[in-house]
Amino acid sequence: MGMTITEKIMAKQSGRDKVVPGELVWVDVESVMTMDYLGKTCFDKFRSLGKTEVFDKSKVICVSDHLVPPPNQKFATMLNEWREVVKKHDIEYFYDLGRQGIAHQIMVEQGHVLPGTISIGTDSHANTYGAAGAVGNAVGVTDAAVAMATGKAWFRIPEAVKFHITGEWQPWVMAKDLSLHIMGMMHWNGHLIYKTLEFTGPAIESLDMAGRMTLCNMTVDLGAKNGIIAPDQITADYLKDVAKGDWEMINSDEDARYEAVYEIDVTDLVPTVALPDKLDDTVTVDQLKGTKFNKAFVGTCTNGRLEDLAMLAKILKDKQIHRDVNMIVVPASQTVYLDALRAGHIETLIMAGAAVDTPSCAACAGIHTGVAGDGDIVLSAGNRNMKGRMGSKNAQIYLTSPAVVAASAITGEITDPRTISI
Amino acid sequence: MIEGKCWVADDYVLAYEIIIQQYWTSPIDPEDNSKWVMAGVKEEFNAENAFKDRGYTFIVAAHNFAGGGKSIEHVIAGLMGAGIKAVFADSFARLQFRNAINYGLPFVTSKDIAISCDTDDVLRYNPDTGLIQNLTKDKEFQSLPAAPFVAEVGAVGGLMNYVRDKIAKGEAIG
Ligand code: SF4
Repeated sequence: MGMTITEKIMAKQSGRDKVVPGELVWVDVESVMTMDYLGKTCFDKFRSLGKTEVFDKSKVICVSDHLVPPPNQKFATMLNEWREVVKKHDIEYFYDLGRQGIAHQIMVEQGHVLPGTISIGTDSHANTYGAAGAVGNAVGVTDAAVAMATGKAWFRIPEAVKFHITGEWQPWVMAKDLSLHIMGMMHWNGHLIYKTLEFTGPAIESLDMAGRMTLCNMTVDLGAKNGIIAPDQITADYLKDVAKGDWEMINSDEDARYEAVYEIDVTDLVPTVALPDKLDDTVTVDQLKGTKFNKAFVGTCTNGRLEDLAMLAKILKDKQIHRDVNMIVVPASQTVYLDALRAGHIETLIMAGAAVDTPSCAACAGIHTGVAGDGDIVLSAGNRNMKGRMGSKNAQIYLTSPAVVAASAITGEITDPRTISI
Repeated sequence: MIEGKCWVADDYVLAYEIIIQQYWTSPIDPEDNSKWVMAGVKEEFNAENAFKDRGYTFIVAAHNFAGGGKSIEHVIAGLMGAGIKAVFADSFARLQFRNAINYGLPFVTSKDIAISCDTDDVLRYNPDTGLIQNLTKDKEFQSLPAAPFVAEVGAVGGLMNYVRDKIAKGEAIG
């Protein structure tokens, strides 16, 4: 019996020839990410283990993303304490305000996540790292503190489920639509709790890294342990100049065991929207035609990448955002921001009437930069829409792709991007 | 053997509601986190110490307890601070399941338990055998006893103690 890519990585990182689902193993981690609002606690816990030096100063990655720029004194003070503790431990890679980005974007974009290895982070969307052919896993501060001290984390080997994706991507259909489609099909935290999800097939092989990151990112919202895509030439090209270490191409064996295999043909996939409050309440965009909204948001670790901003710019070029819509766009990192600026996307978006803000999690978790108030109806390209997620419990959040947000921002009503002339 | 009253939750109790947003940035502290634990789950718990003061020992839930994808440990610390000694459910969200193991709070998977218990029923749980008894209703449920590693971590009061001890003794982990 062969092994899946996740099993192979876990076997390799735990020094075994073979692992089987259900086993508990301690693995070596490639990198440990922590960020501004939990990071100080991580370091405090780490020191309480009796250690003063982290296991590897180049492998504990610190990022300021949730709280920057600080919207109030409380967060400004927290950030000061955070900076102090990072400095004290002489951490090599500290992506603080000015060099910031959303942690998950930074981890992949800056090459801290390497194919065939395991990286963990103190934030749930660490599943994103699977896009680089790595096991990416979200943990609490305790696990992060232990890993900072020892370079290790414990894992239960997960059962595997495969999504085999075929067909041709249609214009204006994005990886986010596939994510939301799978969400509607499998349910939010439904049958996939604890599983490793593997995405394979020609429609995955043709997907760029941005799309792969979107897809793996939202596997946490399916309840999965991780989502992963085998590394290929696209991964290699992406990592060429940024990888912070050596890596190897690991792929699943032909005879690996899956609990279930689902086939999806993207040729039939259309732009998809999750209705307010529950991620798995998804419908195709045509069913919401004419639904009015007043706030548009594109950013986050799900859809704040260059390709996403390029899609916005393509649709909004020489157009005007509807006067009843306030649109905020937040690039996922300074690198993304700069690339989008150089490509002319930022100018296009500003000319269309969008506000562009400095990279951060922004309003995604309701902390700052465009939080939702009572009565707001938000059309967002983020990842979560439960009541109160972006601020007020009396706001509604529709989730969708950047293409749908852009097309809809022009009309002020939820609009199928396939009906917009560009 | 642990014995006490249970509180029966609905399906899909979110971690987000067990600890509401305004406390996500507070320190992780059982005493402190327990004051407002469950504040978002039911209006009746949205007052200081409201859940804690009911004196429950167990929580019984159905599907996906503590879901919604939040990794914050305040959830587990808050439940423990409120006197909860074990949670029984059809299924648990992965992140908090992991945190519970790391804190030594038994999160025990047991099918159909939610439909067979009412709030304030008295339960008895034997962590060694996995047997759960509903003394009020005279019913029994068998759950899997904890895996050896999980039991070992639980016995020393959580992963921090487990690892601290290994480091102090200079022993390898795993
Ligand atoms: S962008 Fe949103 S989902 Fe992503 S890490 Fe930030 S708050 Fe979490």
